[in-house]
Amino acid sequence: MKLVTQLLHNRKAMIGLSILLLVILVAIFAPLLTEYSPVKRVGRPHQPPSWEHWLGTTRIGHDVFSRLVHGARVSLAVGFGAGLLITVIGTVLGIIAGYKGGVVDEVINFFTNMVLVVPNLPLLLVLAAFIGQASPLVIAIILGFTSWAWGVRVTRSETLSIRQRDFVKSAEMLGEPGWRIMAFEIFPNLISIVGINFIGSVIFAVITEATLEFLGLGDPNTVSWGIMLYNAQNASALSVGAWWDLLSPCIALAVLGLGLALINFAIDEIANPRLRTGGMLNRWTRMVRLGEGKL
Amino acid sequence: MSDPVLSIRNLDIDYVGAETDFHAVKNVSFDIAPGEFFGLAGESGCGKSTIAFAVSRLHRPPALIRAGSRILVGGRDVLALDDEELRRFRWREVAMVFQSAMNSLNPVLTVEDQFYDVLRAHGKITREAARARAAELLKLVDIAPDRLSSYPHQCSGGMRQRIVIAICLALSPKLLIMDEPTTALDVVVQREILQRIDKLRKELGFSVLFITHDLGLMVQVSDRIGIMLEGELVEVNDARTIYRAPQHDYTRRLWASMPKLHGAQIRQEAGA
Amino acid sequence: MAFLLRRLAFYLAAFIAAATINFFLPRLMPGDPIEIMFASAGSELSLDNLNALKLTFGFIDAPLHEQYLSYLKSVFTGDLGRSIKYFPLPVTDLLGRALVWTVGLVGIATLISFTLGSFLGVMAAWRRATLFDSIVSLAAIFSSSVPAVVVSLIMLFVFGYTLGWFPNGYAADPMLDPGFDWTYISSVLHHGTLPMLTLVIVLTGGFAVTMRNNMINLLGEDYIVMGRAKGLTEDNVMLWYAARNALLPTVSSLAIAVGTILGGSLVTEVVFNYPGLGNTLYQAILARDYPVIQGQLLIMTAAMLISNFAVDLSYVLLDPRLKRA
Repeated sequence: MKLVTQLLHNRKAMIGLSILLLVILVAIFAPLLTEYSPVKRVGRPHQPPSWEHWLGTTRIGHDVFSRLVHGARVSLAVGFGAGLLITVIGTVLGIIAGYKGGVVDEVINFFTNMVLVVPNLPLLLVLAAFIGQASPLVIAIILGFTSWAWGVRVTRSETLSIRQRDFVKSAEMLGEPGWRIMAFEIFPNLISIVGINFIGSVIFAVITEATLEFLGLGDPNTVSWGIMLYNAQNASALSVGAWWDLLSPCIALAVLGLGLALINFAIDEIANPRLRTGGMLNRWTRMVRLGEGKL
Repeated sequence: MSDPVLSIRNLDIDYVGAETDFHAVKNVSFDIAPGEFFGLAGESGCGKSTIAFAVSRLHRPPALIRAGSRILVGGRDVLALDDEELRRFRWREVAMVFQSAMNSLNPVLTVEDQFYDVLRAHGKITREAARARAAELLKLVDIAPDRLSSYPHQCSGGMRQRIVIAICLALSPKLLIMDEPTTALDVVVQREILQRIDKLRKELGFSVLFITHDLGLMVQVSDRIGIMLEGELVEVNDARTIYRAPQHDYTRRLWASMPKLHGAQIRQEAGA
Repeated sequence: MAFLLRRLAFYLAAFIAAATINFFLPRLMPGDPIEIMFASAGSELSLDNLNALKLTFGFIDAPLHEQYLSYLKSVFTGDLGRSIKYFPLPVTDLLGRALVWTVGLVGIATLISFTLGSFLGVMAAWRRATLFDSIVSLAAIFSSSVPAVVVSLIMLFVFGYTLGWFPNGYAADPMLDPGFDWTYISSVLHHGTLPMLTLVIVLTGGFAVTMRNNMINLLGEDYIVMGRAKGLTEDNVMLWYAARNALLPTVSSLAIAVGTILGGSLVTEVVFNYPGLGNTLYQAILARDYPVIQGQLLIMTAAMLISNFAVDLSYVLLDPRLKRA
């Protein structure tokens, strides 16, 4: 709860949360924001932005704005779904490895390090290529099961240091079972690491889903920002001058990524007070300028 | 009494916060005479280290030395120095042993490099001359010159501490500040280090500002002692008075909080 | 030495793991794995050629473990099969040709962004809470959160199509003959600028943030305060006391970043139609040319492992504590 209050007092977090909230609202109310269906031909091909079609039309006459607001749903769902999966796997394995130690730790640590040195995107490309046209759900699942390694690494090293603290030792003396200690003594102390891992994973999942779809591994019937990029690229949108077709999903992805990254930086600042450059330094600078003192 | 080496007048230091300030040092004044061993004692957080940092102006934001404070070293106003003057002043006039002296050496530079950079920063000197000087200084603290090519992690904790002291003597400073330099060491090494400093002080004639929370240790080595409480200097007296007839109530309480055994031991040594 | 040998053994295990994924993936898919692997060839492949390919990928008339060993043998003898789209071009030749461009592009971009990012991070940390720090931090957030595909498309749109300053594709003017003459080299540089800039924009922020955080965590260390107390110049303390020590954790984060860098370059090459691994792979994905798709995983993994080993080596060189006395 303290984390939430602190987030609400952080300027970066507030901007980031506002952006995220905006995208979420757009996704929820997508059908109310546009009269056009995202999957029907509603205009002539490649019409530039106008009153009728705010962001123009695609090569086959879809409304770009309608596809954009509906596509937000897929990006958010894949991002948060895969992000949650990645975080749960990473946190559980990390806490178990860090707390149990011994053989369990060695096995988990070995696999984690191995997954870390196999390049992620090339691996995903092979998986997706064999699956064929991967739906957003399938993409979310394979992202979840291949991208947890970083989370295990940071959670494990943090657990290793928390394990040595007094309250864990005393819980052990009182004979609390291992799972209770991990869930109720250790996990609450990892909350900011888990938060950073979660938001970072959401960013990663949003970016990677769009990338896989852009590279032609998605299901072309999906309405998502990645498929919009893929279709626009295939329609040579830039060389025929239909910039709106390509730039709309680009800017949407950039804005969502930026919003999430701002939240992540804010959590990092709150978790690590040394990174904070808050009001006190501004006040200090002002006082030095006024000649009230020096270093 | 000749002119003091260090003269602190009305020193006020704040840690600036987002809304209010924390007054770490409040209107502190004291002098240290040439060759004197001056102790500054108090509980942790009482502002004694803050004073030590201020003498070489090592503070970083949000610390703030308030206007009106004066710090004179050898008669020179330290707070009036510009950046380049301050750089030259540091180490030449005032050298310092830090709280965890064992971590005061840069882990990626050899011992020789850490002598060389300070000698170079304060005058023209060749590598060979610097090496000879460094070997000479190491000899003062009983370390063989072949240690010059070692990295800090290859030396023991006590040895690193002595290397730091040797580096402190490189420019023959007037004042050596020791900020709780022995807390991380065991009792035997602690004593050994302090005796060595005391011997060097008598040979080379520098003054010492010794900071610790261990009053018992302090009365054994200091000439005069200042007692600090929550940023204020509550009593300054010679070590004997601080020990036998403390004037301020807080000094008496500090003594009372010391373990009896320790007190008895000091009494014996003081008597002998 | 023992440390490096242990790392080498680990990298070998990781490479075998990647090969194992390649081996099992078609066999785990519903349907006939041989059918899946070579379906895109249609009926163009002669029976002899098909049998040769089957042998390479371990599709032999034997129990699974023998199939597996047979596949590993082909991988370790450098036989990754043949491209189906460009039959009978061996996968190693196809990818090897592309690899040259990718290594050049990624290598230089990494060098530039690591140097630039670390430098900016050092300066920002040293000038905490100044305007410079705020600008660097904000730019870094931006750079590390916007996908490579987005940055490359926007770069292409602005500098390629709209302003027309740079070409929109290829590694060099296709009309020129490759050679060590100025016309060709300048053409390569001209074509490489946009993809390079894209990668630099995407990568620099991450390095800057890492370096800034590492620096800030170090600034309270006693040896840095002692460096200042010694009267060394600010630059000397910043570089040789702070940055030099902050470099160690930054270099180890470089090892993990290699994966991101490779991923970023894949996409960038596709957008700029740059003839590196990414683009070759893209063509292979469109044609479902599985031998090539599998081969790139092995090549990328090898590239990743070699970079990791280089990072290990430089770590040993940079940190005296790892050197044996």
